[in-house]
Amino acid sequence: MNKLKKSLALIATLAIASTAFVACGGDSTPANDTPADTSKAADETKPAEETPADETKPADETKPADDTASAENKIAETGDKLSVLCWTGDDVEKMIENFTAANPDYAGKVEYVNVGSKGQEAREQYANYFAGGEDADLFVLEADWILDYINNDEYTAPLTDLGFTTDDFKGCYDYTVSIGTDKNGVLKAASWQATPGGYVYRTDLAEEYLGAKTPDEMQKFVDSWDKFTETAKKVKDEHNIAMADTLGGMWQVWQYNRANAWADKDNKLVIDDFCKTYADLAKEYWDNGYVTKEDQWTDGWYQIGQDDSTMGYFFCTWCLGKGSMLSNAEGGEGGKTFGKYNITAGPSGWAWGGSWLALSPKCDNGQIAHDFVKYFTVDENTAKDYALFKSEFVNNPNAMKAIVDEGSNKNDLLGGQDQFSVLYEAAGNIDMDGKITAFDSQIKDAFNGAITKYVKGEVASYDDMITEFKKEAAKIEGLTVE
Amino acid sequence: MATAAQRRIKSVSYAKYGYIFILPFFIVYFIFALWPLLQTFVLAFCENGTREPAFIGLDNFKTILATPPENDFKAMGIHETFWRYFKNTLIIWVGNFIPQIALSLLLAVWFTDLRVKMPGKGFFKVVMYMPNIITAASVAGLFLALFGDSSYSVINTLRGCAMTKEEIAAAGLTAAPEPWKVITSVWGSRVLVMFIQVWMWFGNTMIMLMSGIQGINESLFEAAEIDGANSTQTFWRITFPLLKTIMVYTLLTSMIGGLQMFDIPFMLHTGNIINENIATIAVFVYQMFHSNFAKPSFGYSGAASVILFVITSILGALVFYVQRDKDAIAKKKQRKAAIKAAKAKAKGGGFSI
Repeated sequence: MNKLKKSLALIATLAIASTAFVACGGDSTPANDTPADTSKAADETKPAEETPADETKPADETKPADDTASAENKIAETGDKLSVLCWTGDDVEKMIENFTAANPDYAGKVEYVNVGSKGQEAREQYANYFAGGEDADLFVLEADWILDYINNDEYTAPLTDLGFTTDDFKGCYDYTVSIGTDKNGVLKAASWQATPGGYVYRTDLAEEYLGAKTPDEMQKFVDSWDKFTETAKKVKDEHNIAMADTLGGMWQVWQYNRANAWADKDNKLVIDDFCKTYADLAKEYWDNGYVTKEDQWTDGWYQIGQDDSTMGYFFCTWCLGKGSMLSNAEGGEGGKTFGKYNITAGPSGWAWGGSWLALSPKCDNGQIAHDFVKYFTVDENTAKDYALFKSEFVNNPNAMKAIVDEGSNKNDLLGGQDQFSVLYEAAGNIDMDGKITAFDSQIKDAFNGAITKYVKGEVASYDDMITEFKKEAAKIEGLTVE
Repeated sequence: MATAAQRRIKSVSYAKYGYIFILPFFIVYFIFALWPLLQTFVLAFCENGTREPAFIGLDNFKTILATPPENDFKAMGIHETFWRYFKNTLIIWVGNFIPQIALSLLLAVWFTDLRVKMPGKGFFKVVMYMPNIITAASVAGLFLALFGDSSYSVINTLRGCAMTKEEIAAAGLTAAPEPWKVITSVWGSRVLVMFIQVWMWFGNTMIMLMSGIQGINESLFEAAEIDGANSTQTFWRITFPLLKTIMVYTLLTSMIGGLQMFDIPFMLHTGNIINENIATIAVFVYQMFHSNFAKPSFGYSGAASVILFVITSILGALVFYVQRDKDAIAKKKQRKAAIKAAKAKAKGGGFSI
């Protein structure tokens, strides 16, 4: 009897104790599998890494150590599914759909894992996610903070581990390769997209107010910032309508055209003429109503596209696909302004963000990962397929050129216009070399916070605004502000 | 000589099972509460910008509390942000606590009053508690949709800010009215947060106070009624004094919760930039170690947490001091005096003879 009681008590206690730890364990199966797999993979990697390095020496190529034709996939195929981590399914889910349709063998073997709901959140959570036992093979990085990850070997493995050589990415836009290369010259991430942007405007209003019947005619009204401002004044005064969507949209165009990076080599904050020029312009546009007073990423941002509050938007390639921002701004299919937009290059060339696929050191699906990355970044034909599938501007000039030449892309959101033909040239001019820093997302937030105060009159002068900006930026650890 | 049965009873100590049963709680508590708590104190004295910080003494406190030197933008930024957020915390807490306790007390008294036979009491209790069940993220989203700066938020749409050109012309206006910017205005956003906090928590406080009132002996209310006391008199002479313990508890929990207020102030904004007119100390703590993924500022976060802890302790002690039972203390003193006097009497007995 006593023994029974004792053992019952013990069992009950254990049961309670085990429930207390349920939350910590997560899914226990991959937790047990993965560490063993990674250690195995790591063991296999080390000797293999050295061999090709030795081979390259005679060829006198020291930097990209694995730059040989004999690169092989060092990651075994041991996991059951390829997990692709991102903060939104917008791209990844469409990519998986397209990829598995073309490779029926992989159907059901690739899955999208949601980490965070914003890029900034994912940035913080990836590291925690990797520390846990969950499966992580590939993950998506954003231009604003890609350097945090690719410069840290704990979080990213070289793409050569998958059997790629740097030559494989010759077909990509150069800037995407240089951003995906870490400080030691090792290629860590590859992008599937190039992100040039333009000015997307209402065709009906352009014709009515300005008499511009085609994108080429419209471009004449907006081909420089002076022209753009002039046109903005005209439509505002005569028809009480803003020229561009939001200050945030204008900011994206301007911030891309900065001559300098936000921080110099010694991690010192750079405040140059750009700040003054942009602050003045922002204030002029805000005060005169040349932009609406809505915020990006809100319902209002999309509403203004339907009720004649704005002539147009600054949108880039990833804003123009199915189910994207432009679609929302038109009220979806059958919406009030559906198909009533066209795109033109606008006052200055620009690009907005961009996403890179990086390889997690925990990857245990070497084969699928290799094929997935190859499908979207290396292979011209499949990249082209995907470009047409999602109306995505893929990271392959040849593929894009072919599409433009064929004229096979008709975007219903743009009334059948092919946005690629407008953006193809802009994509070739994208130059982000040496212009991105690891502090970018925070510095931009700090600057925009100060600009918002300035345009709303909460800080009196430009100098006060800069002081405000400096104080905010100085909080960023590792950045020097003087 | 004890029998075998007696001996056996003696040998069975059930205390041990008690300890085993509470063990899981303590294990979890030590790992997830006590250790992080102590770690916060350690981190408060450590450097920033690294995941393995070294000890630097009181520098973090100096940066946060002391007037920063000229042109040291970092110190200026951190110092000013902390104090701005501290001011916000106090303003929002006061503006939320006073209306909340007044409203809860009033409703609690009505719901428990013997003479007010309110139908559907249970229904109202549930409905009033309901806002507390909604997650803060949804509440923030809801209020952003209602009171957002956008011309298309509910309040601005009602005012006609989202009218199309045809509608404006039909209404005989030249332009739609400028939208109200509740969320980005200083006091608009603060009052909104106060309101949200009251709305979310008054049901909870009300139920706590009701249980306090129900704990008061009913015969006291009956006696008062028989003696002809009106409801105001009953409230001030019976309910309020006897509710003191539960009031102290409410005040303390509200104060601790209020000083740590985080969710609504953190989420009530559009875009990436947190609204600095409503951000609280807890937001400061979060921002400091979260803003830079690669180089977290644990030191400033820790120091701010410790400062918050000290403030909470002082205020808590103050509440206890103000609300202490003066009668009991006076009685204790009297008793002591009486004992002293008695002792003195016993000692000096000889003199009185």
